Amino acid sequence: MLTVLISGLASGALFAAAALVYNVMFSTSKVLGVQTGQTAMLGGVFGAWFIRTFHFPIPLALLGSIFVGGVFGFLTDLIAVRRVLNRSDEHLWLLSTLAFATITQQVVALLWGTEPLPFPRVVPQDFSAGLLDQKYWLPILTALALAAGIELFYRRTLYGKLFLAMSEDPFAARARGVPTDRIRALSYVISGAMGGLAGFMAGQLTFAYFAVGITLSLNGFIALAVGGLGSNTGALVGGAALGILSAGASYFIGGEYQNTVSVGLLMVVLLLKPAGLFGAQVARPV
Amino acid sequence: MPRLNRKSITLAIVLAVLALLPFWVGNRYQLHIAALIGIYWVLIGGLNLVAGYAGPISVGHVGLLSVGAYTFAIVAGTHGVHPGLALVLAGAVGGLCGLLLGLPSLRLPGFYFAMSTLACSLIIGELALAKQNLTGGGVGIAVPGFPAPFHTPEGMYWLVLILGCAVTWLTWNVARRMWGRALIAVRDSVVAAQVVGVPVLRVKLTVFVFSGVTAGVAGALFGSLQSYITPDTFVFEMGLFFFVCIIVGGRGGIVGPLIGTAVLTMLPELAAPLARLGNCLYGVLMLLVVLLVPEGIGRLFETLMFRLRGTRPVSMPVKPDLARLEAAIKGRRLVQ
Repeated sequence: MLTVLISGLASGALFAAAALVYNVMFSTSKVLGVQTGQTAMLGGVFGAWFIRTFHFPIPLALLGSIFVGGVFGFLTDLIAVRRVLNRSDEHLWLLSTLAFATITQQVVALLWGTEPLPFPRVVPQDFSAGLLDQKYWLPILTALALAAGIELFYRRTLYGKLFLAMSEDPFAARARGVPTDRIRALSYVISGAMGGLAGFMAGQLTFAYFAVGITLSLNGFIALAVGGLGSNTGALVGGAALGILSAGASYFIGGEYQNTVSVGLLMVVLLLKPAGLFGAQVARPV
Repeated sequence: MPRLNRKSITLAIVLAVLALLPFWVGNRYQLHIAALIGIYWVLIGGLNLVAGYAGPISVGHVGLLSVGAYTFAIVAGTHGVHPGLALVLAGAVGGLCGLLLGLPSLRLPGFYFAMSTLACSLIIGELALAKQNLTGGGVGIAVPGFPAPFHTPEGMYWLVLILGCAVTWLTWNVARRMWGRALIAVRDSVVAAQVVGVPVLRVKLTVFVFSGVTAGVAGALFGSLQSYITPDTFVFEMGLFFFVCIIVGGRGGIVGPLIGTAVLTMLPELAAPLARLGNCLYGVLMLLVVLLVPEGIGRLFETLMFRLRGTRPVSMPVKPDLARLEAAIKGRRLVQ
């Protein structure tokens, strides 16, 4: 029972991290990018590559993963978001990020291979710790740290305030002299770096595997929708609830029904409380 | 009416060429590819009404395809029902699944809907793997072929051709009448469509269920053509492929997606090195089209044709009859 709880919390923490990545991108651009899960996938794959092939020390590999994530985020903004946001069709960003995510996944599959590879130990610890093993507590700590960090960033720094201003009203922010394009690019870099960090820390849970991106995009989105779009507390709560529920489902019903149960949770929450648990009610445009 | 005659002559020639394809095509494998294009088109033709006309982005139609294929395999193979009846049943079950999926998810905004269709395709893959006594689990299940006139590869091709033409004709009729206008209105502005009295959810749900039916039928044909299916046949990338065909061909048209389907299906077959890059190539193609010509390559050709002929697409603004409007408002005032 405790096993279900701990492992559920650990995978839920990864979903929560993906939801936070969604949130940071959404705050400045109102775009929910399908490539979100791919940032974490890149963090895991590149981390394993740095350590296993180049024998980087762990801190350097971690920095490398964060850097790769940040570059990926910047490229997302540059290639898939910037041009499309200027057009009137509101669904184009969905198509462009979907295409970008597909390209990323396939290129990684071609260069890295399609086999999941084990991720090396991040902290020296023997394998006898059971539930206290680092593959469980590392992602949980990472998600908490990311949420706390992003909240501090929003509340204590000027750039964080600019993010909030853009999320409230981009036109007004622009009129007050906020360089909205640059701030949006910065938010994509930050979100990519967050994804890279989360993917690195959860590498021992997911393995370095090219296909985790798409399921992570889906589950991160479910965590976000359950918790409420735009809310960082909601992302943590939604991720934890989703992780524990799907771990419980695979323990009690069978591993084949994991997606069915998580989508069921999404549907129930959307029917009862469409804005999510902690989400703000959005006015309908008429 | 010379224009109409020219059009119908072109149509007749194209149909004749397609019908006689088995006699002049080089080998069996090319015929197989032609049948595969037709089957994909049966699905994409239905999906085109949803993604191309009405707007919701569905990347999960591969789930409905696998539902159709498994229904056909179980009903016709395990229970020995006549394949023609099983084909109809596969379409019905596909439509039912479309209804079950569309009823809650079509109310959601764009990204939410896309994610629920993605989840649907993953769930159906999971169930196909889990229900071993029905679907054979990961081992897979054999799918029977069609009886007498359609049992040869040529016969199978003709069956696919007939169904493909039927789907094209149906979607053509929907698209150019009031229904098609309503769908385009829903795609371009939901609020404006609601204001002029389009029942948005009902319109979207109807075409979504229709696309479920065609996906079920396509699944039955697909299973029968491949003769053996496993859950691994219906990967998520396949659903993405259907969608890319429509985007590349151009949203809001029928000929564009049809050509897109044919070209994109043949592309990895014609150039062997491309087969390895397959899905990556589709992603690059989709990104390029979305960034450079969001209307699709089909629309690009249309514009070029207009330029060559020297005719410009005319816009017909409706002039408001202000005097009548004023009179109406005054009359309303008098009543109050």
